[in-house]
Amino acid sequence: MARVNLVEVRDVSRRFRTPQGDVHALDSVSFDVREGEFLSILGPSGCGKSTLVMLIAGLLAPSAGAVAVAGTLVDRPQTRLGIVFQSPVLLAWRTALDNVLLQCEMRGRVTETQHARARELLDGTGLGGFEARYPHELSGGMRQRVSLCRALIHDPPLLLMDEPFGALDALTRDQLTLDLEVLRARSGTTVVFITHSITEAVFLSDRVLVMTPRPGRIDTVLEVDLPRPRRLAVREDPRFAAYTRRINDRFMAHGVLKERA
Amino acid sequence: MSRRLAPLLTLAALIIAWEVVVDALRVPEYLLPAPTGIVAALVGEWRMLAFHTWVTLYEILCGFALAIAVGVPLAMLIVASPPFERSVYPLLVASQSVPKIAIAPLLIFWAGIGIFPKILVAFAIAFFPVVIDTVAGLRSIEPEMLHLARSMGAGEGKIFLKIRFPSALPSIFAGVKVAVTLAVVGAVVGEFIQADQGLGYVLQQATAVLNTRLGFAAILILALIGIVLFVAVELFERWLTPWSAARRTELATGTL
Repeated sequence: MARVNLVEVRDVSRRFRTPQGDVHALDSVSFDVREGEFLSILGPSGCGKSTLVMLIAGLLAPSAGAVAVAGTLVDRPQTRLGIVFQSPVLLAWRTALDNVLLQCEMRGRVTETQHARARELLDGTGLGGFEARYPHELSGGMRQRVSLCRALIHDPPLLLMDEPFGALDALTRDQLTLDLEVLRARSGTTVVFITHSITEAVFLSDRVLVMTPRPGRIDTVLEVDLPRPRRLAVREDPRFAAYTRRINDRFMAHGVLKERA
Repeated sequence: MSRRLAPLLTLAALIIAWEVVVDALRVPEYLLPAPTGIVAALVGEWRMLAFHTWVTLYEILCGFALAIAVGVPLAMLIVASPPFERSVYPLLVASQSVPKIAIAPLLIFWAGIGIFPKILVAFAIAFFPVVIDTVAGLRSIEPEMLHLARSMGAGEGKIFLKIRFPSALPSIFAGVKVAVTLAVVGAVVGEFIQADQGLGYVLQQATAVLNTRLGFAAILILALIGIVLFVAVELFERWLTPWSAARRTELATGTL
């Protein structure tokens, strides 16, 4: 693992003004994302983890503190990254292939190479033969795969994923998690992965940041030392169980999880 | 198929009942002509009616085109510029509480005689739904989509062209479909107030001399114009945005 930090988050706080008063989403959060690392940010709903994605992407400004990507202060929307949201946000009038190529089209003219690369990505995520389908002809899982391909087509050094599998059924979720593991091993992209699934976080990550309930702070940083590539069986590994147990304990300590008698 | 057949059968039954009742009760023709009488007027006066139909159709189409040509850019401006929105949009909405038909005589009075003032009335009545629905359509875009577009380094122009405008099309068409029927109303109202040609003029002249058959013939033509224009817009919409129709069926049948 390289030792260079791709993303640096320093004492970042973020407040939101709402009709019900100010909401303190993040409170003085600091962490780094190492180059090539898969980092999960795990926390209960409303702990500001999605806000972190927006801050790193430069789509939102912090109320205090600073974010830097590749050594440069983030003060505008970042373009050297890919984003996957919980909803696939595909354009209904474009085919799967054209939705992937939107990324290239918005940046300039689409080249033959990009065309080939888009097909290759779709193929690699099990969407071979579906290139010409429209979003409404695809299942939820397939749509999210298209969204993932769109985020990777320009080979970004950084991939931000905001609960990307949150709206999918359990089986589809497992499949996409496995696909992501393979895809990432191939590309070596740095990933910041937002989730509220403990197993998902442990399965995919090199490190897991556990956040407290609102206002979000970093509670624990967990190094996940499990061999890669990870396969489904890793979930039965006693070390895997130990990691999830530790995270569960943190959530219980904060009252996010309660074991009632 | 029966979904299309059922209303046609109902219509046929109503027309037959109309004919039978008028005949059985000996309703005077100047009060309510029988359907066969209306068709006779239509056939007998077809040359004269064709000319006036053309005049009214021309007014409708010009008013309708003007409503789109003004309504859509105005909506774009409202969405693009918050100061413009704050200063103009509330007034625009408030102005809709003034019944347009009530100011039609003034419009005619100001714009003079001829075809243009009728076009103006048709436009004035038709353009508001275009503005409202276009604004709603341009705004309805998912915020995540805009975030993505910005992360792709796209400028506002490109975002508008490739994302905002196409995704607003279903909503724009909803407004345009209302507008096309309102344009028919506008043109006829304009002709009622002052005209020497057009179907509204024919209708007024005919009823003034108790030629009710001819009046009904004019109404029938106006109804046909309204239906044909509406269907034409609908077909154009389906051709331009097939994905929207597909999504609607999907939502309706709940296969999401």
